[in-house]
Amino acid sequence: MRERSGTVDRLAGPVKAAAQRVVVPFLVVLSAMFIVLGKADILLFDRARMVAADAVSPLLQAVARPLETVANGVGKVEGLFALYSENERLREENARLLQWQEVARHLQTENAELHRLVKFTPESMSSYVSAQVIANSGGAFARNVLVNAGSRDHVSRGQAAVSGEGLVGRVSEVGERASRILLLTDLNSRIPVMLEESHERAVMAGDNSDQPRLLYLPAVAAPKPGERIVTGGAGGIFPPGLPVGVVASIDNGIIRVEPYAELSRLEYVRIVDFGLEGVLPQSAIPLPKATRAAKTIDPDAAR
Amino acid sequence: MRLVLFQRDAGLPNKLLPFITTLLFVVISVVPLHIPGFAVVRPAFVLMAVYHWTIYRPDLLPPVAVFAAGLLLDLLIGTPYIGTSALSLLLTRSVLMSQRRFFANRLFPVLWMGFLVTTAAVTTFEWALVSFLHGAALGLRPFIFEAVLTVSSFPVGSYLLAQIQRAFLMRV
Repeated sequence: MRERSGTVDRLAGPVKAAAQRVVVPFLVVLSAMFIVLGKADILLFDRARMVAADAVSPLLQAVARPLETVANGVGKVEGLFALYSENERLREENARLLQWQEVARHLQTENAELHRLVKFTPESMSSYVSAQVIANSGGAFARNVLVNAGSRDHVSRGQAAVSGEGLVGRVSEVGERASRILLLTDLNSRIPVMLEESHERAVMAGDNSDQPRLLYLPAVAAPKPGERIVTGGAGGIFPPGLPVGVVASIDNGIIRVEPYAELSRLEYVRIVDFGLEGVLPQSAIPLPKATRAAKTIDPDAAR
Repeated sequence: MRLVLFQRDAGLPNKLLPFITTLLFVVISVVPLHIPGFAVVRPAFVLMAVYHWTIYRPDLLPPVAVFAAGLLLDLLIGTPYIGTSALSLLLTRSVLMSQRRFFANRLFPVLWMGFLVTTAAVTTFEWALVSFLHGAALGLRPFIFEAVLTVSSFPVGSYLLAQIQRAFLMRV
């Protein structure tokens, strides 16, 4: 017995050493291959991502809850110190909001009157699910969050994710119990938007900075800092008029938008199904090329 | 005889600890921490684990384990460029292996300096790779911010890993 294992060891030694010498180059080539294949947008990788997310989501959820409690505790203590100034601010805001309430009531009745006059058909009903953010991949090269709702909660690709303040992003991948939301600020995020006042249309493109850019805005449009940006409704993905953000800066023709939603500290999001059919289901996309075209608006193709 | 066998077996779960801690650091790096600013860019905890185990116990964190951890990170982050972290961590391990002798039995400041250089190299590599894949230079700021955060939180990660090593891996 002893002798035999000795022979095996003597044989295994050189084999093992040789294997160890090839393993690193092999793995390096393998990762390089993954990168190239992933760049070609193969569906397999989308699925792999969701399988991984589904598998880790119970663990992530278990870790996220106590962390949230701690964060809330810290928030409460911070809140105590800011009590006076906060109160003052809220008083002012309350006074201002009361004025707006008047205006809104007035507009509501006027709107109802006008709807009756023109026999307006209301927009299709929307439904939503609320979901907790269980992972926030703040890597320097991707901006997205994982939430704990998936296909079993009737979440599907392309649906809008909103927070209390405004649009957050859209659902990019759906697993069974988790799904990934591509934030407005991600490199690959392209959202059709419009300037609220002038109704000029543009595409809001993320570039991994905190403030996405406006592209393809007609030259005649002259946005001012502070102007509101809402979804444009083009492409049939989002309904028009969802609040997105405000124009933050205009610098050498580069227009940046400050999103309303605080994307760096999302805790809960609402995933809304507006019943729009603008996004192709994943199974309907036959070729990698087509996936790319459907997901993003290619500047070269648009020209 | 029985006792000897038992001791041998007890070593196995302990030997998995470097890999398990590395995977745990992958998960920690995507958990949402609601600290303003921190949630957007976060320290590369995985790099700390790979750095630590490569210097002290490379036998317990083989290339395959590093590759697996990098791949899991890529999948969880949701980057379109799957394999980026796997590649950069593998290269990190290889380069560190060749410099291991330099780090052996050094004081903490030397280790920290080494980690600074490693982080700078990895960040530059990842920035260049992702920019190349994306077809346009990405903004440097989030990368620099992440690197600074990673280097400055190294003492915490390093302390934790050293404690684990001292507690479970002194004899295996």
